[in-house]
Amino acid sequence: MERIKILIVDDEKDLVSTLAERLALRGFEVETATTGAEALERLGQNGFSVIVVDVKMPGIGGLELTAEIKRSHPHLPVILFTGHTSRDDAERGMQEGACDYLVKPIDIEKLIAKIRNAVGRKESPKS
Amino acid sequence: MSQQADRLRREELAFFGRVGAGVTHDMRNVLSIVGEYAGLLEDLAALAERGKPVDLERLKKVSGSIARQVKKGTETMERFSRFAHATDEETASFDLAGLVENTAALAQRRAAQAGCRLQVELPEKPVSVRNNPFSLQRAVYGAVDLILDCPEKDEEVTLEVASQGAAAEIRVSGRVAGGEADGQWADQVAGLSATLADLGGSLETSVMGETVLLVLSIPS
Repeated sequence: MERIKILIVDDEKDLVSTLAERLALRGFEVETATTGAEALERLGQNGFSVIVVDVKMPGIGGLELTAEIKRSHPHLPVILFTGHTSRDDAERGMQEGACDYLVKPIDIEKLIAKIRNAVGRKESPKS
Repeated sequence: MSQQADRLRREELAFFGRVGAGVTHDMRNVLSIVGEYAGLLEDLAALAERGKPVDLERLKKVSGSIARQVKKGTETMERFSRFAHATDEETASFDLAGLVENTAALAQRRAAQAGCRLQVELPEKPVSVRNNPFSLQRAVYGAVDLILDCPEKDEEVTLEVASQGAAAEIRVSGRVAGGEADGQWADQVAGLSATLADLGGSLETSVMGETVLLVLSIPS
């Protein structure tokens, strides 16, 4: 079975690098980006299975990025990270096309379940 | 309570809430990162139990990173504590430079969201003033907001503090190629002027080429 390839986008460098290391230890292939612009650049070059995006980022924010990803890669699942206070933003992100969201601090097992669910949903045959 | 006093109270509460929300967001990030490092240590311990040699250098690096996040969180809480305690007394004596530095640090996330960084230039000696510290914090944050709301601004907004005889000045400036923000600019300037008038001071705004300069003067 093909490995799940994840792109994590968050402006907190320590968070993305540690999360990437933990996911890699669990067998995922992970790349990171710390800005929306960098994420869009990566998106054009690599075949990601799923994108995990922080809602609050300087420059291109998570909602804008989600909308842009859904325009250019409509079938690519997007999962959002959010703080409790910005849960409304996450729900707006779902309207933009994100398939799920997770409230920080991140529970890695919950994140993995959401990633598998999103990728499975993408790969399941359409009725 | 008069309508004006009621409106002022609501604006002050909204400002306090806005700064508080920014701080909780920053703290949530700090705690998320510490949580991830703790999880990583658990992962490494689990690998060691299965026979993988422990990488001591990696452990030291993780420990150093946790310490850095704890320091960052502590500084954020100290800044917010100073901000919150400005409500203790309506009038107090304080160092204006310290107040501007603290307010700018708390507004740094707001600036980053707008694609900017706040640069603070402080005098060597403290600038002692006696005034309402909470209202002054709101005025400084409001002046920063005015420039951050402008379209096509430069990446840096500068805050300077100076003593000018019987007055103390806070000069907030930035380059804005796109001119002033539509619609809100006049209302925001009027609101800021009113706040400074309540503090016995005044606001001067000027545009020189693409540079917007706001001078907030208060009695020293």
